[in-house]
Amino acid sequence: MGVLGWVIVVVIVVVVASVAFVVIRRRRRGGRVIAAKEKG
Amino acid sequence: MRLLMTASQIRGLPVVTVRGGEDVAEVRDVIFSPEAGRLLGVTLNKRGFLAGRSRDVLPAEAIHAIGQDAVMVLDALSLVAPEDAPDDVAHPAVERNVIGDDVLTEGGLSLGKVTDLVLLVGSSGEVVGYQIEKPGGGRGYIPLPAQLAVSGAALVVPNITEEFVKDDLVGLGATVDEFRARLGLS
Repeated sequence: MGVLGWVIVVVIVVVVASVAFVVIRRRRRGGRVIAAKEKG
Repeated sequence: MRLLMTASQIRGLPVVTVRGGEDVAEVRDVIFSPEAGRLLGVTLNKRGFLAGRSRDVLPAEAIHAIGQDAVMVLDALSLVAPEDAPDDVAHPAVERNVIGDDVLTEGGLSLGKVTDLVLLVGSSGEVVGYQIEKPGGGRGYIPLPAQLAVSGAALVVPNITEEFVKDDLVGLGATVDEFRARLGLS
């Protein structure tokens, strides 16, 4: 594999890792607006 | 002071102690009672870049004040374990997330979908309205009665709500009292 091949692999790895990082972080941070159940 | 904030502005705010200025947690979920028309409490994240959910929660009674930049509590003991917190806050009904729910008038007219909740903050936590995505596109704000039934995927509001759709939070703040007076609620 030439230099271009390695560059493509590195770019793909960086993009996938970035997306995974953002998704995981969002899941961990949460953020919902929850209506409590009515008592009556 | 009459300060209106959306739930998304409150989410992510640091929880800071009045005694000592310690940054003890971060707001995660906002839990409110449609029946009582007020904030019940918030769940928390630990502080830190990748820190996850905190086991402790913060009931509304333990909140000293909510401001634009922080939620203030007296001290770290204000954060309570789920066993000691009201059930609605300790174990929130996660399936009752109102974001994305349809807003329908009693006459069957769709006013849009809920994108956020508007609260009167400071030392109070009154729920005063919703931010909505209008059916034709664009953002709007509607006032809410002091009490509102929330069940299923739609929120049913009085017919006159249609007359009170505002384009910004300032407009909403000015119209809440008038709206409730028209409904005979204040």
